[in-house]
Amino acid sequence: MTSTSVFADATKIAGTGDVMIDIENMNKWYGEFHALKSINMKVGRQEVVVVIGPSGSGKSTLIRCINRLEEHNDGTIVVDGVVLSNDVRNIQEIRRETGMVFQGFNLFPHLTILDNITLAPRQVRRIPKAEAEAHALELLERVKIPEQANKFPGQLSGGQQQRVAIARTLAMRPKVVLFDEPTSALDPEMVKEVLDTMQDLASEGMTMICVTHEMGFAREVADRVVFMADGEIVEVGTPEHFFTNPQEARTQLFLSQIL
Amino acid sequence: MAATTVSAMPPANESSPGQWVKKNLFNSTSGSIVTVVLGLISAYLGYRLFRFVFITGQWTAVKTNLTLFLVGPYPRVEPNNQLWRVVIQALAIAGAAGLFAGANSAATERKARAAGLEVTKETPLGLVRRFWSIILFVVVCLSFIHTVTPLLIVLGAIAVGVACFAGARLLPGNLGFVAGALAVVGAYQTVIGTAGAAWIPAALVLGVVAWQRAGKLVPAGLAGVAMKVGVVVVTAVVIKVIYSFFDYQAVGWEKWGGLLLTLTLAACATVFSFPIGLLLALARRSELPVIRWMATIYIEIIRGVPLITLLFMGQFLLGFFIGSTSISNVTRAIVAMTLFTAAYVAEIVRGGLQALPKGQTEAGQALGLAPTQTMRLIVLPQALRAVIPSMVGQFISMFKDTSLVFIVGLTEFLGVRDLIHGQPEFRAVGHAETLVFVAFGYWAFTFAMSRESQNLERKLGVGTR
Repeated sequence: MTSTSVFADATKIAGTGDVMIDIENMNKWYGEFHALKSINMKVGRQEVVVVIGPSGSGKSTLIRCINRLEEHNDGTIVVDGVVLSNDVRNIQEIRRETGMVFQGFNLFPHLTILDNITLAPRQVRRIPKAEAEAHALELLERVKIPEQANKFPGQLSGGQQQRVAIARTLAMRPKVVLFDEPTSALDPEMVKEVLDTMQDLASEGMTMICVTHEMGFAREVADRVVFMADGEIVEVGTPEHFFTNPQEARTQLFLSQIL
Repeated sequence: MAATTVSAMPPANESSPGQWVKKNLFNSTSGSIVTVVLGLISAYLGYRLFRFVFITGQWTAVKTNLTLFLVGPYPRVEPNNQLWRVVIQALAIAGAAGLFAGANSAATERKARAAGLEVTKETPLGLVRRFWSIILFVVVCLSFIHTVTPLLIVLGAIAVGVACFAGARLLPGNLGFVAGALAVVGAYQTVIGTAGAAWIPAALVLGVVAWQRAGKLVPAGLAGVAMKVGVVVVTAVVIKVIYSFFDYQAVGWEKWGGLLLTLTLAACATVFSFPIGLLLALARRSELPVIRWMATIYIEIIRGVPLITLLFMGQFLLGFFIGSTSISNVTRAIVAMTLFTAAYVAEIVRGGLQALPKGQTEAGQALGLAPTQTMRLIVLPQALRAVIPSMVGQFISMFKDTSLVFIVGLTEFLGVRDLIHGQPEFRAVGHAETLVFVAFGYWAFTFAMSRESQNLERKLGVGTR
């Protein structure tokens, strides 16, 4: 089994050793199909982990299990000390602290940009309107589109929409942000503006897990790169190790196909 | 470079009426033939209709019985002339419409101003354009009468509506809406009195108000909900007790008829079937199997039964279920129509819920919103907007189905014809004329509904997609 290889140990975190996400022996089936096979993985505070791999390898499923958009079948997931269980309150607590940015943006088309961003802080965290809006404008400033506050999502370009989605996630002041192929639905010229925003976020010390096909981003921003194939973690390493000296045959094959 | 001037505007679309006619009606030989043939047919039909309406038609049957068409067998013969109640009711409804419109326009403007957007004002001309079919109907009715009182009533209703509109714009928060709802209750009370179950509408309105007001004061969570329910129950009980002191007998709605009854049936069935249908749609998608099964069984049974059957069941079986025989025919009909329409509304809403991309729910969940919040704030607003056309279609169809209540002994707008042609002097005259008049009445209201639905779609679609 390749998963027992030393290169596939995803539990050695970079940095101080403060664990933010701890996944132990996690399995996930879709009917008969074994989508995730005994995943062991840790993510440290302020660490940026990039997950890559061919489509269908379980990357998205992995991060969607962390905030319970998908239910894992066995094993444990702990986010900042909270064990993910079937208790609704438990799930809510983890979701409050865990942001997610989707491939398809998933902005709320019936709400203005400002309302998109302030909705969750006001409803979930019960933050007063004025305060939530001030924070939202600050975040829009940070993702460099403050002038769009009163427009509707449909009036924005894809790149702008994805930056709003990032601002919407940050408005909840999450401890971790999960990125699920955030640039895959974008026109090429808009990819950079979103990646720049993500890079800023990483440099500010946000804990991030990014599923992406952007190898440039992985190389520059990631603390660790995790390569998945067929539902298992095949190889883990620093970007340097990963792109210059991959050990596993499957990693080498994948890299040779995309680079 | 000077030669290439880039125009900032698209070329103006200036075509004279002549050009338009040429382009759209006579652009080819076959097109011209179609235009001419259809034009001739329309002209002929138009001519026949014109002749019928203005020359050959015997409109005496409609003219003499106009009041009968409007209120049916409602008591209006001295010394027991109760028509003044209907007049007050009409004025109160006009006032309620003004209050709702005023509160709505003030709220929209506040919102637009807060967002720094341009404020578009509703003009009187715009209102005429929106409701021209109903206005035409009113004008036709007025033209049948040679006394001045009805005209004064109409003008009075307009004045009350305008005054209430202006007043509601000055009220803070949602007070305008509350005042409008209370005006509706008042309108209803004027005719119905305060006896029996007449306290329920007032309790409903004030209960909702109490729920909203309490919502800002109580803590979140289950305890808060329990407190809110408590406040609502106390409100309802207080109102019931107050009403029990006044045993004011007016004209019960079992004596209503004509257009008054038709509009009441349609309005009540619409207002009640919407929330019930919404809940049924949510129940049918519930994760709890028992709730899902119940909703599915209900919807499938109701949709498998003709409305007429339900109306009969309302007569014979409602007492069996509720254990009371003192329910009026009108209430029974409203219950039957509400239950019937709710099943269809449920399926329409379910269609809207299913059409919404899964990512919307997921985005709500990922932000930490509770399932009910995701449903209320994200899913429903989008799903309901998407189904406005089919929903209004259902309500239009229901509006016309009110004519079926004649089989349970009610005399609605269409049924009035039987009363008219039962009179000796109209036994053989004016059958076509009364029918055309009734058809025109139904069309006037349903067309306005259809126009309003398009209007609503436009308004809710602003800036999206």
